[in-house]
Amino acid sequence: MNNTEARQALLASAYDALKFVDDPEVGLNVVDLGLVYDLVLDEEACKITCLMTLTSEFCPMGESIVANVTEALKMTVAGYTPVVTLTFDPPWKQDMISEAGRAFLSGY
Amino acid sequence: MSGPQPTGPVAKTTSWKVVIPFYAYAALSFLASAVLLLLSGEAFTGHWFQPHLLAITHLMALGWATMVILGASHQLVPVLIENDLYSDKLAYLSFGLAAMGIPLLVYGFFTFNLGWPAQLGGSLVLAGLLAFIANIAISISKSKRENVHAVFVFTATIWLLLTVSLGLALLFNFTGSVLPRNSLYYLPLHAHLGVVGWFLLLVLGVGSRLIPMFLISKYTNPRLLWAVFLLINSALVLYGLAFLFRPAMATDLLCAAMVLAALLLFARYCRKAYVQRIRKKVDDQMKVSLLAVALLLLPVLVLLPLISVLLATSPHTNNMVLLYGFTIFFGWLTALILGMTFKTLPFIVWNKVYRHRASLGKMPNPKDLFSHPVYKAMAAAYLLGFVLFACGILFSATPLLKTGAVALLAAAGLYNWNVGVLLTHQPSKK
Repeated sequence: MNNTEARQALLASAYDALKFVDDPEVGLNVVDLGLVYDLVLDEEACKITCLMTLTSEFCPMGESIVANVTEALKMTVAGYTPVVTLTFDPPWKQDMISEAGRAFLSGY
Repeated sequence: MSGPQPTGPVAKTTSWKVVIPFYAYAALSFLASAVLLLLSGEAFTGHWFQPHLLAITHLMALGWATMVILGASHQLVPVLIENDLYSDKLAYLSFGLAAMGIPLLVYGFFTFNLGWPAQLGGSLVLAGLLAFIANIAISISKSKRENVHAVFVFTATIWLLLTVSLGLALLFNFTGSVLPRNSLYYLPLHAHLGVVGWFLLLVLGVGSRLIPMFLISKYTNPRLLWAVFLLINSALVLYGLAFLFRPAMATDLLCAAMVLAALLLFARYCRKAYVQRIRKKVDDQMKVSLLAVALLLLPVLVLLPLISVLLATSPHTNNMVLLYGFTIFFGWLTALILGMTFKTLPFIVWNKVYRHRASLGKMPNPKDLFSHPVYKAMAAAYLLGFVLFACGILFSATPLLKTGAVALLAAAGLYNWNVGVLLTHQPSKK
């Protein structure tokens, strides 16, 4: 496995781990809910940065969701420091929910 | 530079310590109101102006509905205005003052001692509400964004201030001469400023944000909400002016029609939000809340015949007045609170217990923190009690009133049990 493949595999496992972090109100994971905008691996600084949003800037569950995302990355991408960065530009919209997320919310 | 840009750390939300006392107080007030309802059932076959009915009405309006709304507002206003709550201390102060004042006021009404206990109680309630209004006003003034929901909330607090100030003036007017006419004359104005200006405006403002949010609906329509806002406030101003200067049945009917039009527009808003929802499975709490939207129409549908009956001076007017009040406090407002408590309080408790327990281990969801069978039983007892008691009022039938009151007491007991389960929730040791 070359460097690029290893990097892709690491990012894929990080995304998979984030699929276990739910928004407690919706009951849907943050990836399918469309809250995760980007995951960036910085090999030199040994840092993995998650750029994400919340459904509302003053989401009462915000602190807990961010803590769970941080914990999920820490446990999955060993040796890398997880950094969660919040953004509300662009704000979250219902259109950002994935097809799998929509199917879940539709009860299928 | 394109793409999402970092905007900062997680926003601070209101502490559970601020919010939970309001919910606990409200739950106990609902139980106490249901006990008083059972003890005073026969009062509902007589005239509407009676000590026990005044006590129940104020315990329901202030101890139950207003306290739970104040508690929820401290949590929800920051979400609506996208800014922190200005002060936790002001929130504690508003709770302390109102919590001391309400029992004194209710005791004064129950014993019809409208001297110092009721007057001191009313003054404490007013002081508590002033602390709340100052907190909300400063929070809104510091908000970066303006939105229609925040305007609803702020305007509602102004109507609340007017309602409570007038109420206090009415109390002092019983023992001294403060107002030009007797207190009984001003009661309809006091009641409608509170019910329409405070409860209705606030519920519509918050509900118009929360209902689409909980349903995960894309629907939004600020223009429709502004129309609702203008209709209700215009009706209130018109009603107040007409009441003070030139009372007329035609004006009352016009105001009721304006409120009915606003409610129909709001019902349309909720229906569109429901149709366009992404989350197809609607939970029991949302079903009860949506039922409350339907129950909103009931008081107005009672009010319009009431005015017509008044015009014809029928002997059944008294039953209609009682039914009107009952459908507001035990119908619409109670249904709404029964639904919304279990949509908001579980999050507050969940945040309190699990916020710092981040891990990949399975944690319960907020909806798992209370008993759903108990919730269903509460909803069934409530619906049965509401219908039986309303029929009891309409037909002046004491057995129906007693049976309805027992069912409502059961609903209040189950509500308190579930709130207790929530408030004492501890994480599993695993």
